[in-house]
Amino acid sequence: MALTELLTKTQVLLDIEATTKEECIDQLIEVFEKESVVHDAAKYKEAVLYREEEGTTGIGFGVAIPHGKSDSVERPGLAIARLKNAIDWKSLDGTPVNLVFLIAVPETEAGDEHLRILSQLSRKLMHEDFRQKLKTTTSTDQLIQALE
Amino acid sequence: MAKKILAVTACPTGIAHTYMAAEAIEKAAKEKGVEVKVETRGSVGVENGLTEEEINDAHAIILAVDTDADESRFEGKPIVYSSVGNAIKNAAALVDEALAKKASSNSHVSQVQELKKERSSQRKGPYKHLMNGVSAMIPLVVGGGIAIALAFLVGGINAEGTLASALNEIGGANALALMIPILAGFIAYSIADKPGLAPGLVGGMLASSGGSGFLGGIVAGFLAGYIAKFCRDYIKLPQNLEGIKPILVIPVISIISTGLLMIFVLGKPMSAIMTGLENWLTGMSSGNAIFLGLILGAMMAFDMGGPVNKAAYAFATGLLASEIYGPMAAVMAAGMTPPLGLWLATIIRKNKFTNEERDAGKAAGILGISFITEGAIPFAAADPLRVIPSLMVGSSIAGGLSMLFGATLRAPHGGIFVLAIPNAVSSLFLYFIAILIGTIVTAVMVSLLKKDVTSVETDKNDNLAS
Repeated sequence: MALTELLTKTQVLLDIEATTKEECIDQLIEVFEKESVVHDAAKYKEAVLYREEEGTTGIGFGVAIPHGKSDSVERPGLAIARLKNAIDWKSLDGTPVNLVFLIAVPETEAGDEHLRILSQLSRKLMHEDFRQKLKTTTSTDQLIQALE
Repeated sequence: MAKKILAVTACPTGIAHTYMAAEAIEKAAKEKGVEVKVETRGSVGVENGLTEEEINDAHAIILAVDTDADESRFEGKPIVYSSVGNAIKNAAALVDEALAKKASSNSHVSQVQELKKERSSQRKGPYKHLMNGVSAMIPLVVGGGIAIALAFLVGGINAEGTLASALNEIGGANALALMIPILAGFIAYSIADKPGLAPGLVGGMLASSGGSGFLGGIVAGFLAGYIAKFCRDYIKLPQNLEGIKPILVIPVISIISTGLLMIFVLGKPMSAIMTGLENWLTGMSSGNAIFLGLILGAMMAFDMGGPVNKAAYAFATGLLASEIYGPMAAVMAAGMTPPLGLWLATIIRKNKFTNEERDAGKAAGILGISFITEGAIPFAAADPLRVIPSLMVGSSIAGGLSMLFGATLRAPHGGIFVLAIPNAVSSLFLYFIAILIGTIVTAVMVSLLKKDVTSVETDKNDNLAS
């Protein structure tokens, strides 16, 4: 089991334009829909926005990790957006966000390998050098490699 | 010793923040050169779980949680509370705060900590599972037993629509009826986590309805727990069907197989054993009754909250489900006399105890009337060969007298406070005498056996204070 099962090349959006949090999430959900990660985009989006209401997923350092757990999710998935211009995410440290990880988890998924991978990713994100690498890579391949 | 910090992180979804907070705390602690262990309670389940021993040794606990964290584990420990978000942002400050916490130290608390240490070192494997079941069951028995006692007090149990019959229904038909299913359910839960609960509850119901009482419930709990654990660990489904495993496959297999084993294999022999036990206990001669009281009493004092004590306690509590109340009374009386007797000894023979021990004596008195036998542990630990036999003699006598007087107790806890509830205890006056005599015997024995305190023995004070 590897990260690449959760994240294909098409699920990485490098240097896209978005002006609001919702706009960014919409673009990433579109990717999920195309890749059949989710079968009901509207319902999944609801779960993601609900999670945002519970507390911001802007964890600081310019990184946000919106996520939703819903039965509209077909299989666990990860989509990444690097934004050209940082946007407001009501982050914990107040900094605008330019690196967004959208995570999709099926409702019944419990005690699963995928969740472990996502938890590992979350842990790595707490380290400055790892974030720096993600923010400075120039290609999708490099970014996926950095995640491995 | 270097300070060690523990932490728990948990958030509602349990996908990301839980782990980031954990990482942040670990990172912050590492930078400060502080040893830390972080338990994560995410959607993967509990990972890196804290053991009781670690909790004992920890300087302080950081709870960075937005949801349940099983907080009762940390009773008596300094706790730093935080949201998960705050932990991600300000982990370093939390670690500082935790380091700055002082372990509040008075004799009362140190005794409780002592008690916890005792428990942690002894609760392992099946014993731990059994105790999890018993401790889940006890509130039902306390609430239910006292409801029934009050029903008798109000009077008119058989008249429908009265307060008495309502209380009786709450206590007898419901709270106590749940006792054995909950016992079995939580034994199984302890073994197999969540998948164990359902088959455990069902096995417990079958034990209850099949007449095999608490013994059947214990067997059902272990059976269900290990079946569920087996299903969870060894049934492998194709990836895309994995989702139905916890909600369909495990429940169906574990419930049906536990149920069939209970009905066709274990039910009959267990119920025969239980009926035999019940008949023996109810038809017992007074000589045998006293003997049982003596044994139970000695067990209560032997390790003061350890496995032997808990075995006697669980035995008496389980019998409440069979409406046998005598052993419960004996067990509580015997469990109260060790700390009470020590308290009395520190008063009548001041020269046998250090200043610190005399202070601890007061706390022991309070723990004693609350039926917390562990209150005697600090004294027993300081001088086991003289103190423990004294406690056992006093407790045996209290237990034996309680049985001789035919005292019965409907609630499995509460110490002196439950005596104030009418009808919870029968033969109240004689029961009180049994406790009193046990206390006096304990105090006299301790006073006779213990040596006078000399200045050389000050090192024992440290044992108590630490």
